[in-house]
Amino acid sequence: MRSRVLIFGCACGLIASGQTLNRKVNLPADSPVTLFSVDWGGTDATARGGAFFVDVHAALSLRNSSQKRVRAITFVVLSQEVTPGGKSSFSVPSLDVAPGEVFPVGIDLRLLRSIAGSAAVEVKLDGVLFDDLSFYGPDNLHCRRTMTVWELEARRDRLYFKKLVETAGNKALQDAMLDSINRQSDRPLQGMQMVRGRATNADPERDVNLAFLEMPDAPIQAMNGMARITGSEAHAPRVEVRNRSERAIRYLEIGWIVKDQLGREFLAASMPADVNLAPGKTSQVGQDAALRFPERTSIQAMTGFVSTVEFSDGSYWIPSRTSLNDSKLRRVVTPSPEEQRLTQIYQKKGLGGLIEELKKF
Amino acid sequence: MTAASHIPESMLALYVSGDLPVWRRAMIGLHVPRCPQCRQRVEAYRADRAGIREVAAEMPDGVNWNRLAAEMTANIRVGLAAGECVAPRKRKPASMGWRPAAAMAGLAAVLVGAWWLNMPPSTTQALSRAVSAIWNGHGSVNAYPAHDGRGLVVELSSAGIELRENGSTVLGVSQDQAKLVDVSVSVQGSASARYVDDKTGQMTITSVYAQ
Repeated sequence: MRSRVLIFGCACGLIASGQTLNRKVNLPADSPVTLFSVDWGGTDATARGGAFFVDVHAALSLRNSSQKRVRAITFVVLSQEVTPGGKSSFSVPSLDVAPGEVFPVGIDLRLLRSIAGSAAVEVKLDGVLFDDLSFYGPDNLHCRRTMTVWELEARRDRLYFKKLVETAGNKALQDAMLDSINRQSDRPLQGMQMVRGRATNADPERDVNLAFLEMPDAPIQAMNGMARITGSEAHAPRVEVRNRSERAIRYLEIGWIVKDQLGREFLAASMPADVNLAPGKTSQVGQDAALRFPERTSIQAMTGFVSTVEFSDGSYWIPSRTSLNDSKLRRVVTPSPEEQRLTQIYQKKGLGGLIEELKKF
Repeated sequence: MTAASHIPESMLALYVSGDLPVWRRAMIGLHVPRCPQCRQRVEAYRADRAGIREVAAEMPDGVNWNRLAAEMTANIRVGLAAGECVAPRKRKPASMGWRPAAAMAGLAAVLVGAWWLNMPPSTTQALSRAVSAIWNGHGSVNAYPAHDGRGLVVELSSAGIELRENGSTVLGVSQDQAKLVDVSVSVQGSASARYVDDKTGQMTITSVYAQ
């Protein structure tokens, strides 16, 4: 038995060492960022059983070759062209890179792929967002919308903290940072599964209505909503919405909060929907998807809130800091990437370092 | 020792013959005057000893009474000791010295610490999650409802995000060097994990897509 294990281990080692890992960064010829240098470091593929673990440890140095400041960037990272339905991406929000400046992007992730085929890692540009909210890239992963929302949230939060210092002093900023750090540490990471399509389950179903958090300044009003509950699964969410703004809406996202049998509430998922909603009109949005929670979870109640709206003219609405101060949202909604970055600066450099950082914008 | 609890006859016999240790003889000496029953027995033993001495005076030639008495006393003691040997005894639990136990605990702590520190962070987090789930009585960590087996499943956990098919991971994304601060899922078929690099403070967001 022991000799068999040794032979198997040696065989795996030989397979792993015999693979040549092709690595490349693929930027378009007219890309606004150019590759200054790349260090693949310990990027390697290791065979384990019937799969490869591809550890990608790459330090890219990119130059901003455009005339605008770069705010965010997204890459597609592929370890196999024909992974069954799977892709992965790597984004860096909250950047502030001046024209001509070189900036580092560290890619540090582990991909898992089938052992069949050649081992390769390809990093491709999917999009770059600039400070005027213009965009460059193929946008295969719809990263433009995501990065624009991150940038708008960053502007909102920086403005909020700057006003806090102006109106209430440094102590108020310090208290706000401590409060944010506490909220981030108190918020549990809820494990769950999401599956697209109709789930088959023999358990009895029941319909549960969604309650909605009212946001007076939101251009969308959620009229009513419902999801089907089967044991610890929630599926087929449906929400009826009305456009109460004066502009047409083409995209919206609704946050979905779930309350379990112990009274714990957590943000289960976001429900995006492409719509064509004229002012004053109503529409029903829904997804044929199921959320699965660990079997001992019993879903007791659900709440929805409007988290993002994109108008047909390309402008966006996101919740204000006032709206996010709702007690329920404060408990479940994660602070923006920018707020998390600022709290990290506060922890590392103190209040003075944070104030200096805010003055840059 | 009270009058209500009488002295065993064997002890009284040894007391009369002067074969008890000093402290025990003193204890019995205090008890006997206050206990009529024991006193009566002691007097009876003394009378027997006196009678034996008289008989001893008439012993045949060649028989030394003192030597015979010593042998008899020795035999009585051997008999008492043998009786204790065959009587049922209470077993004391085997006790181990504290030093070997402390040494073993220290060695175990070193081994567990080395093993823990050498595990990849993702595995550590998964194990922590498992221990936490067991501690909180949540049973199996990945006890999700049975799936019909068709299509990709996006899974979130405190260790990261991954795509699964037929119970196996087909695409997993995790970061060893950065701290996981958030995971989220979109019902359109994607999941994201947000990391922060403790050294540089740079935020990075990795995503997997099931479409």
